[in-house]
Amino acid sequence: MQEKTLTPETQGLYAAHRKIYPREVSGRFARLRVLSVVVLLGIYYLTPLLRWDGRQAVLFDLPARKFYIFGLTLWPQDFIYLAALLILAGMSLFFFTALFGRVWCGYACPQTVWTEAYLWMERKIEGNRSQRMKLDKGPSTAARIRTKALKHTVWILFSLWTGFTFVAYFTPMDELADKLLTISLGPWESFWILFYSFATYGNAGFMREQVCLYMCPYARFQSAMFDANTLIVAYHPERGEPRGSRRRGADPRQAGLGDCIDCSICVQVCPTGIDIREGLQYECIACSACIDACDEVMDKMSYPRGLIRYTTENSTLGKPQRLLRPRVMIYAAILLLLCGFLASSLLLRVPLELDVIRDRNALYRDTPDGLIENVYTLKILNMDEKSHRYRLTASGIDDLKLVLDNPDIEVAAGTVRQLIARIQADELKLESRSQSVSFHLQAVDSNNLQTVEEARFVGPGRN
Amino acid sequence: MESAPFRAMPRSQMAIAVLWPSFVVAIVATGLFFSAFHPRELVPFNLDLDLSPLAVYSVGFFIFWLIGIFCGLGTLYFTLVNCGAGQRED
Repeated sequence: MQEKTLTPETQGLYAAHRKIYPREVSGRFARLRVLSVVVLLGIYYLTPLLRWDGRQAVLFDLPARKFYIFGLTLWPQDFIYLAALLILAGMSLFFFTALFGRVWCGYACPQTVWTEAYLWMERKIEGNRSQRMKLDKGPSTAARIRTKALKHTVWILFSLWTGFTFVAYFTPMDELADKLLTISLGPWESFWILFYSFATYGNAGFMREQVCLYMCPYARFQSAMFDANTLIVAYHPERGEPRGSRRRGADPRQAGLGDCIDCSICVQVCPTGIDIREGLQYECIACSACIDACDEVMDKMSYPRGLIRYTTENSTLGKPQRLLRPRVMIYAAILLLLCGFLASSLLLRVPLELDVIRDRNALYRDTPDGLIENVYTLKILNMDEKSHRYRLTASGIDDLKLVLDNPDIEVAAGTVRQLIARIQADELKLESRSQSVSFHLQAVDSNNLQTVEEARFVGPGRN
Repeated sequence: MESAPFRAMPRSQMAIAVLWPSFVVAIVATGLFFSAFHPRELVPFNLDLDLSPLAVYSVGFFIFWLIGIFCGLGTLYFTLVNCGAGQRED
């Protein structure tokens, strides 16, 4: 057991951080990423502004314990939907990873999206890669301090807007804006705005690729979903090697060189600071910045594009590619099943709940008419957006009588109403000492709005 | 006694290893806990605390986070502090 406790890899993992200055890149995939960033940030910042039926369209109202998602109102009882949604999100990640590799990381992950936005601001204020590197290395002049101060001010303002938007998913936006303008924000609302702002500022401004390298669990386990047919970003060593610089227009084959001119632009554009020419690495978030960069260089050299490209392991080995393989089909089947379950249960969801609690003070009571009576407390929960009037019936014993204090049962939208119900039955009709009865609650104005709840009816018992 | 990995791992990374997983777990735990219990029902030791639901949720979240942090610290300690014992080359 003369094994060293630290392998070179673990040492590398914990290497001191050096700042990465990603070079700006343009091209097909860069445009696609910008589009994705704009769309996703647009959804995030604009959703709390949408209205629906006189309220905020998407609102997770924690104090009232109700989640509003457009026409849908979810209660704590509907937690199962949230769980199903999370499983669905997880399965889609598996499915898309098996097919297209780390597209999530490169185009849709909040870390990527906000980092892109913060990098864009940084570029606008501090300039391109070499200007930024020079600025950081240079002396602390007044101009440098001004530039840095401007960048951080813009970042902080954008972070605060992000934090404010985040809290607006939980407290109505107009209410929050009102409180902000009159400087009457509650301590916890202020805290969460600042907390989320700080997290955004730190993650997108400073942590950046370190989040992917050290914090992201997906980066560590995504390889389990990869196979030889998964789309990856790869350098073509057979075509590129031996790499080396050359004059433009010179025939590389005569000089004994491959197509890679070793300009290192693919390394400079990489947001995680790796060299894709060393092969597939877990740091690669498949953002394809190196593809765009290399294609541009290939165009300049008049070489064919695609020295670095989206490919699969099979394709690089000259084997046939298979899109539909068991893994993909299993993921797709589970995904479809889950979608079906979620959609059908949402469609069939009855926004009505009835709780029946038997009076525990007395088992039963004899009425003056000679009947046996049980008392129940009923809780009617109207989870619908509209007020409803209900009809309550009971069954389970022949000729039973249902007595209500107030037979007019109207429950306002999103409220609970409690009422006392008495069931009276003839002792001779009882089958046993304790038998089941069912309460049937039916909305007067809608046939679909109904629910049944079982309860026990206790009598003296027969010998 | 600090082992080699304990010295090799930067403090910032230790902080991430403890704070981050416990943060994620705290979100899940808070969600599960408060979907089962209403803040109104949770009055510790019959204290008459006049807390808003948001305050209760927030405090709940931080309690779960703190519990997770203790768990993470324990894991970190047991993983790093003595794992080199008996395997030294010297």
